[in-house]
Amino acid sequence: MIKKYTLILLGFIILYSNNLISKEINIYSHRQPFLINPFLEAFTAETGIKTNIVYSKTGLAERLQAEGANSPADIILTVDIARLYIYRDKDLLASIDSPLLEANIPHYLRSEDNTWFGLSKRARVIVINKNKVNAEEIKRMEDLAHPKWKGKICSRPGSHVYNRALMASIIAANGEVEAEKWANGLVANLARRPQGNDRAQVKAIFEGQCDIAIINNYYFGKLKFSEDPKQREWVKNLKLIFPNQEVDDRGSHVNISGGGVVKFSKNKKEAIALLEYLTNKTAQQLYGEINFEYPVNPNVESSDELESWGVFREDKLPIINIAKLAPLAQKIIDRSGW
Amino acid sequence: MSSSWNIWSVPVVIISLIIIAPVLAIFYSAFLGDTSLWSHLFSTVLPRYTFNTLTLMFGVGSLSLFFGISSAWVVTRYNFPLKFLFEWALLLPAAVPAYIIAYTYTDIFEYAGPFQGMLRDIFGWSSANDYWFPNIRSMGGAILVMSSVLYPYIYLMTRASFLTIPASFYQTSQIHGRNTFWLVALPLARPGIVAGLALVLMETISDFGTVDYFALETLTLGVFNVWMGMNSLSGAAQISSVLFLIVVVLLTMEYLARRNQRFHEKSSGQNNLEEENISNFKKIECICICLLPIILGFIIPVSVLCNFVFSGFSIINFSEIIQTTVSSISLAFFGAIFVMGVSLLMIIVSSYKSNSFQKSIIFLASCGYAFPGTILAVGIVVFVGWLNDNIYFHFSYFAGGFLILIFAYTTRFLAVGNGAIRSGILRVHPNLMDANKTMGISFFIGIRKLIIPLIYTNILVGGILVFVDILKELPITLLLRPFNFETLATYVYQYASDELLEESSFAALIIILAGLGPVIFLSNTIKNISRKKESNIV
Repeated sequence: MIKKYTLILLGFIILYSNNLISKEINIYSHRQPFLINPFLEAFTAETGIKTNIVYSKTGLAERLQAEGANSPADIILTVDIARLYIYRDKDLLASIDSPLLEANIPHYLRSEDNTWFGLSKRARVIVINKNKVNAEEIKRMEDLAHPKWKGKICSRPGSHVYNRALMASIIAANGEVEAEKWANGLVANLARRPQGNDRAQVKAIFEGQCDIAIINNYYFGKLKFSEDPKQREWVKNLKLIFPNQEVDDRGSHVNISGGGVVKFSKNKKEAIALLEYLTNKTAQQLYGEINFEYPVNPNVESSDELESWGVFREDKLPIINIAKLAPLAQKIIDRSGW
Repeated sequence: MSSSWNIWSVPVVIISLIIIAPVLAIFYSAFLGDTSLWSHLFSTVLPRYTFNTLTLMFGVGSLSLFFGISSAWVVTRYNFPLKFLFEWALLLPAAVPAYIIAYTYTDIFEYAGPFQGMLRDIFGWSSANDYWFPNIRSMGGAILVMSSVLYPYIYLMTRASFLTIPASFYQTSQIHGRNTFWLVALPLARPGIVAGLALVLMETISDFGTVDYFALETLTLGVFNVWMGMNSLSGAAQISSVLFLIVVVLLTMEYLARRNQRFHEKSSGQNNLEEENISNFKKIECICICLLPIILGFIIPVSVLCNFVFSGFSIINFSEIIQTTVSSISLAFFGAIFVMGVSLLMIIVSSYKSNSFQKSIIFLASCGYAFPGTILAVGIVVFVGWLNDNIYFHFSYFAGGFLILIFAYTTRFLAVGNGAIRSGILRVHPNLMDANKTMGISFFIGIRKLIIPLIYTNILVGGILVFVDILKELPITLLLRPFNFETLATYVYQYASDELLEESSFAALIIILAGLGPVIFLSNTIKNISRKKESNIV
């Protein structure tokens, strides 16, 4: 009898201590699990740190805020600088000290106070039907407001984060008044009411509803290598234009995916390890392979496939400005009806 | 009738207040935060958002009434082939989530879809410029797809009402050669119809999936633009309060409309009305009336999904989906039981033990149904966070736990349970409980032995609707769930939001299948019990 209880007790001790040994971190993610699981699996294989995840597109910042010091979360991962900045704005992120992150990420893609860090880049580009539009005629994002493109352009709604960030970059470059003129010009040129995601715009070009669209660069790759043969067909006549590349121009607008360590995290060391892992060579290359995103780490080269779409110069505006201008951008979007 | 503060009403009022708390939290952040956005919103987008919302409500309301009442009437009244099938098949669309039907319709009816492709083949058109075809991503498209899956609420409640109207009423009107439908059935079924319509309209207002996919600028979409785009939860909450206003107006109209009317049966004569035999032409007419909504709301989306499952067979992770199904169904099951328990308590106490002030608080407890799910979820987060700060209440035990999900579902779906039970109680004559009292039998026993058996159908109807609703629920589950926990809806969403429809199709089909069983069971129960009950009363 005593022996039996001792065994059970021993069993519990082993189970419990096992729990203590294997470290775990909890992630709040705005990116779908199927997109980040390859990274997390590689991380766990290398470090032995397990990861748990809650994915939601909205509301995680509010949840984290309400949970306060009791929050189980250790790290947040998100796309779009404005979303990332919300966490900083609500004072939910820890300021961390990691020379490695500082070395791996250029200063304009991370916060000055070391709370948030860019992990990958995506470029907002223009795509055209190369049989119908002369690529030489579109050099800048600003060109899309020219009346000669009336009825030729397709876009997803302006209120989507990607377009809002683009709008913010134009405010930063040209000022509010010019930016609003641009928005009105663009809306006047739209072939149809803004709808669908970036993929749907490419499809609309394929169907002949329009000839020009604004999309994130990785959709081009996702469609080009789609499992669906129909989707591969869509990009055949497509040409990708990186805007604002002239010598004295500002470069193409880029946005980031990024993350930060939660202020009240109980596993800060492990959380930092994950952020560092995501900026190392293996992970940075994985961003390109899985999702056709550009590495933030200047020592890592983009994949050959990405290079083949064209080398471009990016707008080096400190990305925090995009987040700060987002509310104004939304107002202009509301007024112009984009 | 005792109607003061008593041991029944006090706890129920407290429960109601707890259930309203997340909604109050939304208002709290609406008026506490900065109100500077208001003038911008008012001068730019708010009129457009409001107009679109009202148009959508009007359209979905009208079309759902048409689908729901016409089909309920013909299957109750007439005898035609395949009727036994239609009786329950008409409920099938209820299992299809609105966000899924929007994806499937776009897939079929857009330019590259099979339908327009077929038209081009038949007529030899070569491009979009050769012909005109309505864009599915439009107001009309949204009205069509939403009505196709929402009408079962009206069908269900209307049919339950039609079945319980005493046959003598119909016979009287027939003797006088009057129109049975317009003069007897419709007026008497009004509480059921209105209860169903209220649910449809509230679902319409709070829908995010369809309007987002179709890029329709309704108030709900506006809430998101302001919240995400301007980083202003208070601005979002302010728009939500416009939504709330619309709902309060709706509910008040419903309340006023039935306040001075009585719907309970004075006598309960024989209820087994003979179904009318009709001409062959009319039979075909009846079949069409039943078939149309089933095709629109069930056959089309399910065939598209099946097609996706076949074409994406190799990339679907079946074992993961089966695991998810188990957790999804158990969550929905316990959620439904809890919500119905609360509903039953609230409506009974509201009907027999409350004064008008208490009644209105209980009434308001069901308004969570009309808020966009995510905003309500944030309201819950804010409320529980407040508890966390002010009373010792360890949030992390609850957020990310199942308790908070169940609480959230109660706030969200109480209206469904309340609607079903209220329309049952309205048909029970108040004399019954008075008689109970004169016999010196306690209130509790009276409820258990008299009222609950009489409204058993309604409890079941409500419970099953709530079950299916929880199964389909997306935004609240997404935000409040524990780590590594997926329901079918969240599973579908993570793929579908990236337009990876093949990966998501099988899980979407399972949501529908899991809802089918209860829905069919429901249909049979209504039919049997409503007849048996009538013959047992006196």
